[in-house]
Amino acid sequence: MADLGLYVFAAALLFGIGVYGLIVARHLMRKLFAINIMGNAIFILMVTAARPLDGAPDPVPQALVLTGIVIAVSATAFALALMVRLHRETGQVSLSADNESGGDDG
Amino acid sequence: MMALLLDGLIVLALVSLAVQAISGRSLFRGIIHFVVFGLTMALAWARIGAPDLAMAEAAIGAGLTGALMMVAYRRLVAQGDNHSPRAPAQKSRLAIPIAVGSGLLVGVIGLGALLADNPPGEAGLIVLETLPEYGLGNAITGVLLLFRGLDTLLEIAVLLTALLAARALAGTGDSSATARTQHPETPLVGALLAVVIPLTILVAVHLLRAGTHETGGAFQAGAVLAAAGVLLVLSGRVSRTDTAGPLVRLGILAGLSAFILIGLMPLLYGEALLTLPGMWSIYLIETAMMVSIAAALILLFADAGGLKRDRRG
Repeated sequence: MADLGLYVFAAALLFGIGVYGLIVARHLMRKLFAINIMGNAIFILMVTAARPLDGAPDPVPQALVLTGIVIAVSATAFALALMVRLHRETGQVSLSADNESGGDDG
Repeated sequence: MMALLLDGLIVLALVSLAVQAISGRSLFRGIIHFVVFGLTMALAWARIGAPDLAMAEAAIGAGLTGALMMVAYRRLVAQGDNHSPRAPAQKSRLAIPIAVGSGLLVGVIGLGALLADNPPGEAGLIVLETLPEYGLGNAITGVLLLFRGLDTLLEIAVLLTALLAARALAGTGDSSATARTQHPETPLVGALLAVVIPLTILVAVHLLRAGTHETGGAFQAGAVLAAAGVLLVLSGRVSRTDTAGPLVRLGILAGLSAFILIGLMPLLYGEALLTLPGMWSIYLIETAMMVSIAAALILLFADAGGLKRDRRG
């Protein structure tokens, strides 16, 4: 059994990195990376924070996370389709609010 | 000591890959880093003691998300995205404080839960007590089908909705951007497919069968099966069509409809909704879900309404 404290630390770092990327990144696909990284951080937290039963992690949060992984890939696929369509319509791969604050899409 | 070193290396790799994915030089490298991040997550799950999650993460999280991202990237390039490799990041004075604050929040919640002296989760104990009655050995499959059947049902519905939404957005007439390249095929591709495709199907069926008593399950099996489909699409063995044939439609809807029909059955003899009547129903639902998950993921990857077999000489 791994040192769970270390993985809680990793979850905190990854969540911070994800939030930072979500704010700072301009390309929508990078924002998607950031959202997925945040999601993974929360998945780690959910599994490690549950008290183990008989030495193995609690199956209930694991089942929740398994559902979460599939939902995450569904949402990512939808977001990617939105991004491709946005680019086809406008030629942009970033949100317009981001452009106003930081110049044209580089 | 050795274990701590290993965990430390995994955590270090996760963090540095996450940073690289977000701030690496080119977007393509970002995708590669993100895929490797997913694979490292699978290692982390294995270390935490969650092999089911490790398998799902490797197949779905890293493999198929990565494939979907690369296809989207290629479509952007085909549509003339001249995004410069070194696009300046958006300037925000608040970004670092907010990121540090939310990271701290997650850390404090996690440490609080880890250090608190609370009893083991009662739900988990009940699951472990109930499973032997059903003859299920894998607690996670048990939770997914016996206790959280509605969530699992809706999960398939979400996947289906994502597919429908992606199809609605794709519009028509962009097949030129996604048409496969017309390279002459090397003879090795056929030989490779002849070995890899049957093996992949074998692994998927094994995962499905094993899912009732050990690591595995419909989601992992569906993702592995989808990988075989992705390979067939990439090698041009199946080609895209705008509308789905009856077989593809059946495949997409199989999981949801089997789950709903079997879930409604208990109402006929006065039991609660989604009370599964026995092992046969679990096998049936899992098989149908595997087919649907694979079909939905392949169609999302191919960005096509349907697929048809492409016969070659």
